[in-house]
Amino acid sequence: MNLSIDLECCIGCGACAEYCPGHVIAMNEENHPYEKYPDDCWYCGVCQIECPADCIQMLFPYLVR
Amino acid sequence: MERQRLIETDFLIVGGGPAGCIAAIRAKEINPDIRVTVVEKAEISRSGSAGRGMDALNNVVIPGVSTVDEYVEAVSIIADGVIDPAISRVIGERSFGILKRLEQWGLSFPRDEKGGYIVNQFHPKGRFLVEIRGDMKKIIARETLSLGAEIYNRHVVLDLIKDGPRIAGAIAFDLSDGSLKTFVAPAVLLAAGGAARIGLNSTGYLHGTFDCPWCNGEAYRLGYEAGARLTGFDYTGIAMMIKDFNCPGLSTFIRHGAWLVNGLGERFMERYDPVRMEHAPGGVRTKAMLEELKARRGPVAFSFSHLEGRTLDLIESGIYEAERPTVRQFLQRRCIDLRSQPLEVVFSEVYLCGGHGLTGMVADRWGETDVPGLFAAGDCLANPYGFLPGAMCMGEAVGERVVSKAYSRPDDNEVDERLAVLESAIARHRKGALNVPVREFEYKYRRLVNEYVAPPKSGSRLARFLKETDAMVKDQDDLPAPDPHGLIKVFEAKSGLFSARLAALASFFREESRFGLYHDRVDYPEKDDANWQTRVIVHRGPDGPVLEKERT
Repeated sequence: MNLSIDLECCIGCGACAEYCPGHVIAMNEENHPYEKYPDDCWYCGVCQIECPADCIQMLFPYLVR
Repeated sequence: MERQRLIETDFLIVGGGPAGCIAAIRAKEINPDIRVTVVEKAEISRSGSAGRGMDALNNVVIPGVSTVDEYVEAVSIIADGVIDPAISRVIGERSFGILKRLEQWGLSFPRDEKGGYIVNQFHPKGRFLVEIRGDMKKIIARETLSLGAEIYNRHVVLDLIKDGPRIAGAIAFDLSDGSLKTFVAPAVLLAAGGAARIGLNSTGYLHGTFDCPWCNGEAYRLGYEAGARLTGFDYTGIAMMIKDFNCPGLSTFIRHGAWLVNGLGERFMERYDPVRMEHAPGGVRTKAMLEELKARRGPVAFSFSHLEGRTLDLIESGIYEAERPTVRQFLQRRCIDLRSQPLEVVFSEVYLCGGHGLTGMVADRWGETDVPGLFAAGDCLANPYGFLPGAMCMGEAVGERVVSKAYSRPDDNEVDERLAVLESAIARHRKGALNVPVREFEYKYRRLVNEYVAPPKSGSRLARFLKETDAMVKDQDDLPAPDPHGLIKVFEAKSGLFSARLAALASFFREESRFGLYHDRVDYPEKDDANWQTRVIVHRGPDGPVLEKERT
């Protein structure tokens, strides 16, 4: 996993999933974002910039940390 | 598989990055009635290698600061004399207009106390670099939408359609439901990027590449199959990257005066290029770095401690705010303070790119390839080191050409045949008889690139790569694709292997050494201007790729 997504503050708007250029993020049945394809992340940070509630932080995968 | 209606348009753009968006904008500006359609793999406000942002226009000819002739000369130095100057000239001529256009839309470019643009040096000779402040891609996408271009986000073009020798449209795959859409168009622009996933990067993650990992040579493959000529596959680029993150910063660091130092603290470029130092062409810089590592004088790093505080402020604001904010988080995690510590750099994987290298389709000064109606711009066009301005300048030229030439509507008699072939290929991937995950397949060809294609090169190793990957070419059509996302990864991997094989063929063909490290042949160690100051052209022949020299 690359991201820390704080579901407590997430408003379920789906912007992170909509704008992720690599289709890494999807929304689950509870309308929460999750990393569906974590291996395809470029660590570009679009998800955290687009999050209107500031719920996403880039953690980087373990080998990059 | 569901087929949707044919969608007719006047101008189909494959890829909504800066090149594609500016082409759409320019066409609509000149003729608001023209139907312009953009097919984009992601979402256009955040797509492509500049989707998050970019901290500089590396190459703008600012009146009073530099001239177009000086710009073409600077590019020729980087490209070791092997360029078609016509495209670089167009970029030089149009670049200032692009800057003014971006400024009008709300981006800012730092100015000095007299109101002039602050222009830095990045090239070996001449000053062409202007920093950007602002969220560029969102602004460009906003303008594209405001002029009424029709956008198909989350769609991927898998095949082009022709009408005899000319282009007639494309077939796209809808990632949301896996259906196919056919676009009939008399003019098609390929603006879908270079090939990032060629060599195997050292981070351990296949998508942790220097260049945008979601572009992997699909545009090269589409252009080749349609009959366009390509060049620059012998120019196998390698960049200096922030270790482990594999994130760039090179241009920012060099233009602000950072030094490359070895493990002994020596500014080692003095040994290899004492005049140009860090401003030497990329192939010279990376070859110097390789020599330092071979001599066990590593690690290699950028050093900033000699710079003034305000210069460091500029570096940090550029890389943290205008380009990738995640660099800040990465450095914080590692407790690296640029002001007091060197920043270690490593080699990137081998990549192929028109804007950060020489690789791409051959086109005229309007971006039109040898296939009538088929255009290229951005990283899939051979626009030597055109960077971001090159993408936008050539996009603008294409937009103008498409409107002024008024291409007639093509017959679409090839559509049914191409659709049937594509549907059959997709069905085969859904069956996935190879039963090997696409990631394993990709890892294998990229590992083979590192072993046999990455420089320093030799004929025997390049031939070995082609032999080793023959079986993969046979296997690739049976790769499993369990869902739409998986199918796109399969097409990306196939395009990557295709591009890597062209790189091996072109590198084998060029029997000399050129471009510093990038085409360093141990079996032909000397540069041979008499025979090889030429581009290597590749195009599709009846029995496979045909290679030719072309003097520019």
